[in-house]
Amino acid sequence: MPSVLSSTPTRRSLLAAGGAFGALASAGCVRQARNIAGRDRPEQLSLDVKTIPGDADPFGLATANRLVEALKSVGVAAQLTPLEPEEFYRQVLINHNFDIYVGQFPEQFEFDPDALYPLLHSKFDTEPGWQNPFGFTNLECNDLLESQRTQTGGRRRETVRDLQAHVARTGPFVPIALIDQLTAVRTDRFDGWDPVWPTAPLGLLGLERVADTADTLRLSSTDQRITVNRNPIAAEFRRHGAIIGLLYDPLTRRDGDELIPWLAESVDWERSDDGVEAIVRVRPDLSWHDGTAITAEDIAFTYRFLTDTSLGNAEDPIPTPKFRGRSSLVSEVVVESDSTATISFEDVSREIAPIALTVPLLPEHIWTEKTGPATIAGIEVNSETTEAVVWNNPEPVGSGPLQFESATDGERAAFELFEDYFLVDGRDTEIPEPYASGPAFDRLEIQLAGTDSSTIEIVSIGDADATLSTLGPGVIERINDESALNLITSQSHAFYHLGFNTRRAPLGNPHFRRTVAQLIDKDALVEDVTDGFGEPIASPLAGTEWLAPSLEWDGRDPTVPFFDDGSGELNVTMAREQFTEHGFQYNDEDELVVRNR
Amino acid sequence: MGLLSVLTEVAIFIVSACLVASIAFIGPARLLELRSEAIPRLLDSKRLIAVLLVVLVTNGLIRDATQNLSWVFGWNVTPLIRQIEGGVVIYIQSFATPLLTAYFSYIYVFGYAFLLIFPFLAYLSLSDQTHFRSLVLAYTLNYGLGLLCYLLFIAYGPRNSFGPGLVESLLFDTYPQFQFLTRSVNVPTNVFPSLHTSLSATVALLAFHTRREYPIWLWVSTVLAVSVFISTMYLGIHWLLDVLAGLVLAVVSVEGARRYVKTGSFIGRSSTDSDESAEVRS
Repeated sequence: MPSVLSSTPTRRSLLAAGGAFGALASAGCVRQARNIAGRDRPEQLSLDVKTIPGDADPFGLATANRLVEALKSVGVAAQLTPLEPEEFYRQVLINHNFDIYVGQFPEQFEFDPDALYPLLHSKFDTEPGWQNPFGFTNLECNDLLESQRTQTGGRRRETVRDLQAHVARTGPFVPIALIDQLTAVRTDRFDGWDPVWPTAPLGLLGLERVADTADTLRLSSTDQRITVNRNPIAAEFRRHGAIIGLLYDPLTRRDGDELIPWLAESVDWERSDDGVEAIVRVRPDLSWHDGTAITAEDIAFTYRFLTDTSLGNAEDPIPTPKFRGRSSLVSEVVVESDSTATISFEDVSREIAPIALTVPLLPEHIWTEKTGPATIAGIEVNSETTEAVVWNNPEPVGSGPLQFESATDGERAAFELFEDYFLVDGRDTEIPEPYASGPAFDRLEIQLAGTDSSTIEIVSIGDADATLSTLGPGVIERINDESALNLITSQSHAFYHLGFNTRRAPLGNPHFRRTVAQLIDKDALVEDVTDGFGEPIASPLAGTEWLAPSLEWDGRDPTVPFFDDGSGELNVTMAREQFTEHGFQYNDEDELVVRNR
Repeated sequence: MGLLSVLTEVAIFIVSACLVASIAFIGPARLLELRSEAIPRLLDSKRLIAVLLVVLVTNGLIRDATQNLSWVFGWNVTPLIRQIEGGVVIYIQSFATPLLTAYFSYIYVFGYAFLLIFPFLAYLSLSDQTHFRSLVLAYTLNYGLGLLCYLLFIAYGPRNSFGPGLVESLLFDTYPQFQFLTRSVNVPTNVFPSLHTSLSATVALLAFHTRREYPIWLWVSTVLAVSVFISTMYLGIHWLLDVLAGLVLAVVSVEGARRYVKTGSFIGRSSTDSDESAEVRS
């Protein structure tokens, strides 16, 4: 940046002048020289935009590119840094090392508004994972998040509306769009693909076998993370959790609006003094993949472990980077017997509490071994991290219908049917069809490819039955052209958004963030890049029944409308004026300048 | 198997292309001589060949490890490269037509493979084996130095930096099956420098030094090499800077290799004089 380079010699020459004339000049003159030289010159604001490269996320990259170009045109030195998914999430979610990121919310399936609790509550500021990566601190927001937990029905709805309006106004992140999840499937071996969620855990469990010879369900993916890491609590390695959801069963599974008791045989709810209690009875004779019996102790352990992976050994609790919102609902778990546990919820309403039971159950005997500090070659490097959080979990021991078989880093991963699974061992359950008879396949294999078009090629030549990872809109034509391929579009709830690191000036300034939000033409972006398979949004709850009516999209963003010059292009003058209005300055070269960055 | 069928296609093409090129460029006399001479000549260069194989195998084995190391220690130069060169690749792609895309895609996969393999045959057929040794060593240097750069620099290509609407991933969108092949030999962050460029340029540079033996090959290899340079950018895989760095790497590798083969040292006396005389002799 030219201003940086020029500022140093200027200051130096001034000081030199001050020194040379010091002997002759009056004290007043020197004082003035010091006054001038001692002031920091403002420098052009530079911002780095992080995102996942186009092979893995075409829409995110397109969004980031438009943002960078818009920022440049309003005088910000913006640059784009593509990072592979694992690295992206590590830098953004774990290290909080970013200015702005473009990413997707991890909950692909319809989520409860309480998912915003860990995302925005200031108490999660320092925690790694999808816990307030923005470093957002706002008392009003905290109040709204806490109230909605205790409320039910219409009052909660009201609070959630206020919360959305508040988030839209203060803008720690900018919701951009909901992009349909596209899946290419073929139906000659397996059919009954869920029209809504073909590759969700329940979608895969509901498949039926068409060809008698088909024993392996084969999926193609661009996302290599499941081949290197199968740790359910590692936020940077998990996407939407489809495979992990088949390896690790929860107590209850969410199926649309319903919660199906899964590992739990029954859940009875009771009112308590300051909240509610769930009396959970696990199904009899359940075992982990290694044969150890599943007991109520594992329930108690799971919630204790999710809130502190060091189990009290570290100075401060080290919570898991995932499932944090749900684990923070639970206040206590009491083991009543081998099969029964009472889970207590403080200041949480009966309406929200059940979602806490959808976390994966973790085996105590495996994870208690992993509570020590993380080490590299035996040397402790970071006392704020436990082994559990960074463990690759190469051979996961879960309780789900699939167990780990084998994997090759970056190439493939295979899972096989767990023979002792309660849906396949012949017992009667109340689990509804089409899940009641367990998976229709004996193995599940994931095959890696480099780009979305090659994942489709793998399905098209008959080497896989469906695609698992994100497909860009560029491949739709190809899917429609191939008669063997069917396209399933699902409305994803994993909203795309810009995240601001509010810890870094001037991103802590809501006016700045709002003005940046107005640089993006969400409508044009969605139309140009997604071919109609998406919609621009103004609230993270768009696409759910919780959306605040005031934040419905009606051709433009109701809170932060695009600076339109009338022809669909960015009105640069208007944008610059708004920056100036909010106290930002431009130098002679039309660069937006800041001090003390 | 997607990969297997692509591999078969490439293999069939290379064998046939080498057959035709051998007859056209090497000529029956040298080929007849090669029948008896091939083995002793290969044995003469066995140390250099072994080193190349070791580098290639190591490259394959440690690719994942270096990739991980690179993310820890490497310098992500993608934004810098993009800042320096801007939209060169966008400009190049603005000329895209289906015919050009087909040409450059096949050049990138088939043309490149042929360009790399044929010189082995060509130079093994010469009675003066210095060129063969230079070739083997130059390839080794390309891979070795290239790997070092990949460890130091993380860079995504234009298609992964600009993305849809700006730079299209022409090769993989048009011929997704080629992805099975490139994926198994490369990772998307290893673009600086372009090894496609450096190895093709290496072949063309060596062809220049052997223009007396193979005058037409000089022209054929130059046309192919230049096509490969352009294809890497046209297809959205490499930046212009990757290509330029690839050219530098090629010059360094070829000069280094030729010096070493002649003088036994990489930084020995300039080989220009002995170069001329060697060529006159042969």
